[in-house]
Amino acid sequence: MTKTSNISRRKTLLGLGAGAGALAAGGVLPGSLGFAQAQSSAPIKIGFQKHATGIGAAYGRWYDVATNAAAARINEMGGINGRPVEIITEDDATDPGRGAEVLEKFANQHEVDVAFGTLFSHVVIGSAPRAGELKLPYFVVSEGHHVASGMLNRYTLQPGITDVKSQVISMAPFVADNLGKKVTMIYPDFAFGHDHRDFFSEAIEAQGGEVVAKIAIPPTETTFTRYFPNIPRETEVIYHVMVGPAVLTFVKEMGEFFGPSRPEIFGFIDSLEAVDIQSPGLEFLEGTYFWEGMPRYKQANESEAASAYRAAVGVNDSGAAIDDPSNVATYAHMFGCWETLHVIKAGMEAADYQGPADRAKLIEAVEAMSDMPESIEHPQGDKVFNGKTHQAFGKQFISKVGDGRLDVVHTASIEDGLYEDEVDYTTRSF
Amino acid sequence: MAPILKPLLAAFLIAVSSVEPAFAHAADQGFVLLLPTTAYIIGGTLTVAITILLLVCLRPGQLATVLRPIVLNRGRGDSTWHHWGQIAASLCLAGLILIGLRGPTDPQANLMPLVLWTVWWMLLFVVQALVFDVWKWVNPWPGLHRLLAPDHKALFRLPKEVSIWPAVILMAAFQGFVLADAAPNDPGRLARFAFGYWMFTLAGMTLFGRRPWLEQVECFSVLFNLIGTMRIARAGAFGLPGWQVFHGSRFDLSHAALVLVTLAAGSFDGLYETFWWLAQIGVNPLEYPGRTALIWPTTVGLYGSVLLLSCVFGFAVFSGTVLVREKIPFKNAFIHFSITLLPIAIGYHFAHYFVTFLVQIQVVIATLADPFALGWNLFGLGSRRVMVGFLTVPGTVKAIWLTQAGVVVMSHVLAVILSHRTAETFCHTRRDILVLQLGLSILMICYTIFGLWLLASPRGA
Repeated sequence: MTKTSNISRRKTLLGLGAGAGALAAGGVLPGSLGFAQAQSSAPIKIGFQKHATGIGAAYGRWYDVATNAAAARINEMGGINGRPVEIITEDDATDPGRGAEVLEKFANQHEVDVAFGTLFSHVVIGSAPRAGELKLPYFVVSEGHHVASGMLNRYTLQPGITDVKSQVISMAPFVADNLGKKVTMIYPDFAFGHDHRDFFSEAIEAQGGEVVAKIAIPPTETTFTRYFPNIPRETEVIYHVMVGPAVLTFVKEMGEFFGPSRPEIFGFIDSLEAVDIQSPGLEFLEGTYFWEGMPRYKQANESEAASAYRAAVGVNDSGAAIDDPSNVATYAHMFGCWETLHVIKAGMEAADYQGPADRAKLIEAVEAMSDMPESIEHPQGDKVFNGKTHQAFGKQFISKVGDGRLDVVHTASIEDGLYEDEVDYTTRSF
Repeated sequence: MAPILKPLLAAFLIAVSSVEPAFAHAADQGFVLLLPTTAYIIGGTLTVAITILLLVCLRPGQLATVLRPIVLNRGRGDSTWHHWGQIAASLCLAGLILIGLRGPTDPQANLMPLVLWTVWWMLLFVVQALVFDVWKWVNPWPGLHRLLAPDHKALFRLPKEVSIWPAVILMAAFQGFVLADAAPNDPGRLARFAFGYWMFTLAGMTLFGRRPWLEQVECFSVLFNLIGTMRIARAGAFGLPGWQVFHGSRFDLSHAALVLVTLAAGSFDGLYETFWWLAQIGVNPLEYPGRTALIWPTTVGLYGSVLLLSCVFGFAVFSGTVLVREKIPFKNAFIHFSITLLPIAIGYHFAHYFVTFLVQIQVVIATLADPFALGWNLFGLGSRRVMVGFLTVPGTVKAIWLTQAGVVVMSHVLAVILSHRTAETFCHTRRDILVLQLGLSILMICYTIFGLWLLASPRGA
């Protein structure tokens, strides 16, 4: 059963806007005139490992939107090597065990050309070994450092989104220069928080700053008042990366604790991704700073490419669904799907990809990539791909909350987020 | 190095779009945690406690009058129109199985899981319990069988003494599938399960007869018949919810077991997503490992809950039977008091799935536009948008939470009323009526707190 038609329905279901509608309106279907010049008009099958259910479902929905919008655009432009793109969606239930099964289905049942799209790191880590065994190129969109850290394999790549290590260290210069050098970190007490702690501690010291307190919060905590007295008086900046259902409570209680006089506050939008910044309880965030992977609110200087992408995924100027303005997008991350699909297209074209026998050629073609200038294919901004570590590096945004919206006050350069290579995948055999 | 997980807001905006029951509810967790839920829990519990106290003031027998039905039309003949509905349901099921096997692999675009979980398990369950006997019209099992073998004679006799124990076992297994299976949502897998169960049912009906099989073994027919006893109307008679329990319904230990399995499963379904439960099994709720890793803890937890509820409930009943002056057989009391838990099982079912239903029914409608993923837009349904933003608006979240909590409290109030009436059927003095229910009343109050706490608790699964 064709999944290309799925694109139009998923778009409709999830409220894509007129932009994608126009892209899809071309009605480019497998075998239609647009693809007639290709040696084969059979579609390029891309297996989309989607968090349709489980704890990643909120992300899965928006990753689905970006994926189908990108596929619609690619088909509108004539497909890949003259062949249409078919997105085959399987639910991994945000479950590593299931994720590996889904890859097997992609390879053996659907016979896809590549697999793509996973966000949650534990699903990536659970699936990637299987991708290696199946010799199936696996393009992830997870931000995790696990790709560049060398723990995965040659078949796993992350060319469409930066990794969290790069994101964190690129924040340090701005924090040290503009907010303060004495930082108290508040983070959930597990791997996610620990990595922020470790990456940032090192990076801020390199900028002449120091972390004066590290406050680890147990993951099951739902009230935080008793932790705030542990914040040293000398603190100039609070760096927080709280996640989970109690984030709103955390912000509210922090506001109540500090009252009108507070240190500067910096956080990762991951805490409030897809949450309306104007939600009751978040008033305290006024004047605080957030990392954003891509600016949620349309900026005065937003590039033409970024605006075209915003329209294609059906998101309004405030970062919410055009048709359902209370439904805020996972805007800081979902561009990764769009960009990754375009990297796959570029890689397949560079490798003259014809079928699964050319999978190794495809990986080598992507490994050979370097500069990816800002364009409709890369609407988030310029990127540099490191073929050895299989990881893309790009700009990062720091936005300030004001008047109930987020506005970019600093853009960290690609260089701010670079670090020493930890692996060279190109030396590993296929 | 340690892997970086990306728990992010997904733990905040948990799984609104999940299609299957095990991931129900709670997009709105962050806002719920900001609500004064402790005050609401106290208020709800007081409502149940006050109901218990008010019932004490009733004269024995007064409730019997209240729970007596009004008979409007007893002489209505048996129509066979519903046979056509059942045949249509068989065709629909066959279509769904086909879609499950050959349709889109995304469960959010495939009618098999969407219809099964959202329309059947969430919606029809509640309609059957509250509105009318919809199962009689949409039961897919007898339709095809009746067509194939209209004058079928059973080859073997299913003993009456077996009662509905086979259905109890099957229902317990089904609940295990819903809660513990790694991928109950996978369209193809679900279709194969449904097909397998259909074949099993056809074989059973052929061997043991259509009616005995549907009344004793086929767990969904049995469950739907049982929850139907809470409807206000039956065969031309009307009364307050629960009246049927006292008029013409016969129950044995197997019925008690089915109620306990249903209530325990519904309760555990809420519990196993909470931070509390995840902490008990050593899982970081912000780093939820997925269902595959938790198959055994969930299975043990589910059946442990059935056992625990049965023991606690049994003890509550037993304590009453030894305290009263009249001699009351424990088994009889256990059976009849257990039926009074049925409203709570139904109330939890509603409350548990309410949020998921509000989103998923929109997905079902939009998917109906193109059931085979061929690019159709039947009836213009494909242009309908699935709205989820309302789950991030504090006012709506509060209204939804209060609706869920209200239903949970009302279900407990009804259970308390039915329990009081049941006690009246065993005892004749006001003292004994009260003493018989002493343990049960304490259990009811605790269970109300538990049910409302479930709604208010942070969840990580």
